[in-house]
Amino acid sequence: MRLAIPKGRLQDRALGVFAAAGFDVPSEADLKTRKLVFQRGGIEWIFVKDCDVPVYVEHGAADAGIAGLDQILEHECTAYQPLELDFGRCRMMLIAAPGAPPLTKIATKYPRIARQFLDARGVHAEIVPLGGSVELAAVLELTSHVIDLVETGETVRVHKLVMQELVAEISPRLIVGKSAYRRKSKQMRELIARVEAVCHPERREGAVRAGGAQIDDGAPPAHTGPALTLGMTKER
Amino acid sequence: MATKLRYPTGVRALLVEEAARRRRIETRFIDVLERARFAEVVLPIIDYVEPYAELVAPEANRRSYRFVDREGDLVAIRSDFTPMLARALAPAMRPDELPLRLFYRGDVIRCEASRLGTNRELFQIGAEIVGDASVDADIEALRLAADLVREFNGRPTIIYNDVSIVSSLIARSPAVAGALASKRANGELPDDIRPTVKKLIAGEATIDDVAPFAPEAAARLKAIAGALDPDEFVLHLDDFEEAVGYYTGIRFRVYGKNLLARGGRYDGLYERFGTAAPAIGFTFNVDDLE
Repeated sequence: MRLAIPKGRLQDRALGVFAAAGFDVPSEADLKTRKLVFQRGGIEWIFVKDCDVPVYVEHGAADAGIAGLDQILEHECTAYQPLELDFGRCRMMLIAAPGAPPLTKIATKYPRIARQFLDARGVHAEIVPLGGSVELAAVLELTSHVIDLVETGETVRVHKLVMQELVAEISPRLIVGKSAYRRKSKQMRELIARVEAVCHPERREGAVRAGGAQIDDGAPPAHTGPALTLGMTKER
Repeated sequence: MATKLRYPTGVRALLVEEAARRRRIETRFIDVLERARFAEVVLPIIDYVEPYAELVAPEANRRSYRFVDREGDLVAIRSDFTPMLARALAPAMRPDELPLRLFYRGDVIRCEASRLGTNRELFQIGAEIVGDASVDADIEALRLAADLVREFNGRPTIIYNDVSIVSSLIARSPAVAGALASKRANGELPDDIRPTVKKLIAGEATIDDVAPFAPEAAARLKAIAGALDPDEFVLHLDDFEEAVGYYTGIRFRVYGKNLLARGGRYDGLYERFGTAAPAIGFTFNVDDLE
C-alpha cells in the first residue's frame, strides 16, 4: 500500500493521525533527509507537494492520501473521500480591497474553482492565476478581487482587505483512489476504519469493523459537512 | 512553427515496433473472438450528434470532438462505439437472427476536460451480444472478457455490480448517491435505508441485504455469482458511478495488472433507435494489453 502525505501545512498532523491509528510512520530523523519515499511497516510513504496528492491518487500512483478539499476540487479529483479530518480546517473566501470595487478580475491559486464560482453566479470576470501571496494582487490593484484560503484572517486584516463571500468550507480529507478501493478493497477499508477510529471515535458512521477497529454503535452522528461532489462526475 | 515538432495533446504515431506490437495483439484478440463465434462490424469514424443527443449526458458529450460539417450539421468524432452500434443495427436487424454476437475495432477520441486527464486517442476492440436478455448472456460476456485477459496479461480480476441495485436505493433517497460517491454514510440518509447503505460502504452487505430493494437484480447477481469463480469475478455491491449512462443491469471492470476493459448490460439502448433489443458488451483498450 502506498500513501501520499502532503508536505507543508498538513504534513505533521497528517502523520500524527496515522501514528495514532497505529501505523509505523517515518520518523523525524527520516524526514530530515532529502528522501521522499520511505518503507515503514509494510507501507510505502511518499511525500509530495499538497497540490499533487490528488494527482498521485487519481492516477493510482498512490493508493490513498491526505488532501485538502481545495486541491481535490481544483483537480476535479474523483477519488473517494471517506473521511474529513479534524484539523487544518479553513475557508476559501472571496476577498476585495476596501470600498468594494466591481468584480472584474480575480487573482487566485485556484483558477478552476474560481471559474465554477463565477459561473454559478453568472458573473463575467477575468481570472488571473497566481502561484502564491495572492492577497497582494488586490493590495496592488492587479485585480479587483482575490479568492484564497483564510485560516485566522490575519493576512486579510494586515493588508486591510475585506472578506466578501464564502466560496467553500475547506477541510483535509482522507482520499482513496477508486482503483485501489476496488482492487485492494479489504486493505483500503481497514485503512479507513483505523483512521476513522482516531478522527471520529464518537462516530459510528460507515462503521467499518475490519482490522479490529471496533467502532461504538452510539447515537446517530452529526452531519460531517457538505459531501461536495463538484467535479466528481468524471468516470475513470 | 510551434506545432512542427509535436502532435495535439493525447495523440501520437506508432512507429515500426509499436505498430507491429499492436497488430500482433489485435490479431490474437480477434482470433479469440472469432473462435467464440463473434462476427465483425465496421462503424464510421464520424457521425451526427443529434441522434444521440437524448441518451448521452452533457458531460459525456463534451468529451467528444464536435464540429460543423459542410452541410451545416453538427457531427462528432467517434468517442463510444456502443451507441453507434445500436444506431447502425436497430433498423437493420431481424428478430429471427437474434441473438447476434458482434465485435468492432478502431479508434475513439475522448477529450477529458480535466487537468488530470488528457485528450486521448484509444484503439479499442469491443464485443457485444445483442438480443439475449438472459443471465446466461451475462455469464458468457463475463467469461469471454476473462478469457481475453488470460490470453494476454495472465490472471484476470473482474469487478462487477448491477446498476439497478444502487439506483433503487437512490430512488428512495438521493442522499445515497452522495454517500456512495464519497464512501461516507452522512446524516442525510433516511433511517429505513441507512443500515443498508452503511453495510454497503463497510463492504459487509450481501445480496440478501439488497434483495428487498431490487429483487430481480439480486436474483440475477446470485445466478452470476453461483456460476463464476469468486476469486476472479468479484461482486462489489457498493460500486457506483454518478454517471450511469445507458447501463441498465450488470456493469463490470476488467483488470489484469491494470484496468483493461469496461462493460455492462444496456437493455434500453436499442429501443431508442427504433427496435428494442437487450444487449451486453465490453470494450478493451488494446494498447493496455501485453
